[in-house]
Amino acid sequence: MKKLLQTVSIVGALTASLTVSAQTLTVYSAGPGNLINNLAADFQTETGIRVNVFQGTTGQVMARLEAERGNPLADVVVSASWQSAVDLKEQGDLLAYTSPNATNVPDFLKDTHYVAQGVSALAMVWNRNSSTPMPSEWADLTDPAYRNEVTMPNPAESGTAFELVTGLITANGEEDTWGLLGALNENGMIVPGPNARALNPVLQGAKSVVFGAVDYIALGQQQNGEAIEVIFPASGTVAAPRPMMIMNYSQQQDAAKQFIDFVLSEQGQKRVADVYLMPARTDIAALRPGLNELKLIDVDAFAMNERRADILVRFRRVMGQ
Amino acid sequence: MSIFSSDLSMPRAGSRRLKVDARQLVLWLTTAALLLLVALPLAYVLLQAIFPQITRGRFDGAFSLFIPTLNDPELLRLLRNTLQLGVAVVIGCAALAVPLGALRALTRVPGGALWDVIFLVPFLIPPYIAALAWMMTLQPRGYMQQLTGLQADSFLFSFWGITFVMILNVFPVVYFAVSRTLLAVGGRYAAVGRVSGAGPWQAFWRLTLPLSIPGIAASLLLVFALSIEEFGTPATLGAQANYYVLVTGIHQRFSDWPIDMPGAAILSLLLVMLAMGAFYLQHWLVTRRSYVSVTGKPMAFEPIELGVWRWPVIILFVLVGFISVGVPILSALATASTGTISGGLAWDNLSTRHFETLFNDRFGALRALSTSLGLATGAALATGVLGALIGYLVVRAKTRGHQVLDFLSLLPNTMPAIVVAVGLILAWNQTFWPIPIYNTAAILLIAYTCLLLPYPVRYASASFRQMSENLEAAARVSGAGFVRMFWRVLLPALAPSLLVSMLLVFAIASRELVASLMVAPAGMVTVSTFVFGQFEQGSPGVGMAMSVVAIFSTTALLLAVTAFSRKKLPFAG
Repeated sequence: MKKLLQTVSIVGALTASLTVSAQTLTVYSAGPGNLINNLAADFQTETGIRVNVFQGTTGQVMARLEAERGNPLADVVVSASWQSAVDLKEQGDLLAYTSPNATNVPDFLKDTHYVAQGVSALAMVWNRNSSTPMPSEWADLTDPAYRNEVTMPNPAESGTAFELVTGLITANGEEDTWGLLGALNENGMIVPGPNARALNPVLQGAKSVVFGAVDYIALGQQQNGEAIEVIFPASGTVAAPRPMMIMNYSQQQDAAKQFIDFVLSEQGQKRVADVYLMPARTDIAALRPGLNELKLIDVDAFAMNERRADILVRFRRVMGQ
Repeated sequence: MSIFSSDLSMPRAGSRRLKVDARQLVLWLTTAALLLLVALPLAYVLLQAIFPQITRGRFDGAFSLFIPTLNDPELLRLLRNTLQLGVAVVIGCAALAVPLGALRALTRVPGGALWDVIFLVPFLIPPYIAALAWMMTLQPRGYMQQLTGLQADSFLFSFWGITFVMILNVFPVVYFAVSRTLLAVGGRYAAVGRVSGAGPWQAFWRLTLPLSIPGIAASLLLVFALSIEEFGTPATLGAQANYYVLVTGIHQRFSDWPIDMPGAAILSLLLVMLAMGAFYLQHWLVTRRSYVSVTGKPMAFEPIELGVWRWPVIILFVLVGFISVGVPILSALATASTGTISGGLAWDNLSTRHFETLFNDRFGALRALSTSLGLATGAALATGVLGALIGYLVVRAKTRGHQVLDFLSLLPNTMPAIVVAVGLILAWNQTFWPIPIYNTAAILLIAYTCLLLPYPVRYASASFRQMSENLEAAARVSGAGFVRMFWRVLLPALAPSLLVSMLLVFAIASRELVASLMVAPAGMVTVSTFVFGQFEQGSPGVGMAMSVVAIFSTTALLLAVTAFSRKKLPFAG
């Protein structure tokens, strides 16, 4: 018993020593984990301010913000969904701040209360070892050659997949888009979950193509030798900027502002480019096709988000879920 | 410690009162801990369900979301699927694990205690890793097809596939409960039966098995509760099978923008009610009659020699071990040690780069491992102590409300971990606590203790149900106080099953994902959040490498503990 109590007290002491100090900046970030860890480490070297990172999916980050409302803890939030920033601003949760380093960030990637960290785009990811031909357009995948060979991230679980659906609706109209998705469903397309779950079967070859994958993850895997191609259709695709914001209840607004400035600095933006995202600043080189090389569909995100529930219901119906 | 020693050294006149005090004090502290650990977060979930705006400190719109949420036509289908899955997994686990457990307890199975260690491993494999490993093995162009040309796509992504993977994840609960319970019931009654003319089979079916019902029923209830709240497997396989359950619905409400916390809370209450039904069924089953079978010192008992039957038995154990442990681990190893997934199982694709990334430790993998091991040890100790006391309270306390305690101690197992986690944030992230708990490692310890408390409580209360009260009376007559009686008389009899349940807690806590993701303080990474992050960001190889390292190191640790403890405790073997 004595030994047991000793162990308990050791665990207790351990616990206390791991307690987070109040003198540090708390950043909640939706992936990529190595990006935010590198940014945090660089920032600490630069300014001496420690950064505690909570890293999860956009949904986990938002659920945590919601549950912590009674006693909020986050200073800076990096989301993968532009719309989440729009909503948080509307709820009055964000601090207005325009970083001096944001001058080279195009207007559509910044607002009075938030600014893009980087940008990803939606693409098709095709397995080179598959027996299917390489597709070049979204609509190619309705061809019988791709029967039972296509996956798509679920727009209910992946903000970027939702944005792709709204982009297709904007570019091609309502009926054509649902017609296309219906034809994909007829052709045996599966919708297995968020991004990683749609990509994984294609990596192994169980399926051949992802319809609407986030590009930077696939580009990174291609760089690591996976036999995949990342294809941006000429008819257009959707950009998914990743907003950064300062919470207005932050007790360390100056440090938070410094952090935003740092991510938008040349050094910070190079870190962003390293993970195959497009940097938010146009004057920093990307390791992949940049904003000017892609045909982007201009989506009225606000109007589309008003219809979010309807679009998801329609999607479920079309997919026979 | 001071209560214990003062109790023993007091003069006789005062000691009588103090003994009562010690017992009362321990029982009150236990109840308080249970309320704080379980009732408090769940109360917050209930409040959240009733008052949608409570996180903003407002109480308007009470009950306004119940009707719309419960009116969702999807709900009936989710409920039906959840029940169907729970029942199927229970039946499958009973069919698989009751014979295995009985063989292990009553006969001399070759390999002995080794099987106990092997069957602990399924708990060390996170369910979503197991599901992913099965996916990478059975899907078209998966490892099985690469090796044998066969694939099982249509089986894997179906109700049966989900059931199959889930049975393999949780059958050890039943295996350990059955083997420990049968051991406790022992060969003694069977021997009496044999003397009275019963054959070995008759003795087993008419005596040993019926007397073991509390333990078996409790473990099957645990399996039901576990499978209706399991998230990883239905989430990984269910979407492709078009099979959705309540938990996936709850997660969706919690993690899709915009977040619907009140809706998720309401669905969680539904899930709790489902489990409550199962709880009363089990309760009715085990309290109809007495199952007292341990009335004195546990007596040594000779296991049955298997003779020629040893070969079929060995084959059965090897087969179950291979399918439940071998396949997922080999699949994880294959993913971790091939350079690319698209390269498949080829010699030139063999690579250590994922392990190198891991051990370069740029991403804090080793720190994650030590954090998880430390927390799991803490959770095992805390739940062990509390579980033994609560189990005693539930079975022995003649007070009103002990059924409430029983129910409370089971509740966490019926709540999806994400709901418990949100309840914990709501409850502990308040400014009125004198010591900050939330946003420290303590909140993870509390989360694991809360979520895993049902294991020791179930195992302990099943043991107490089989212990005669005469044991306690005898100890009291001989002058032992409550604490001494508990320590010297009850605990040794309880030790084998309590230890097993603590090992289970350790195993599950070392890889718990869902709650860890929600409550881990910023800056702290556990094994599971590390692995999950790697998968989400497109490094399945590194994620699998971490899983493999974690599974092997926790197994080694468990082996060491078991080997060490057998010298001190009457651990079966």
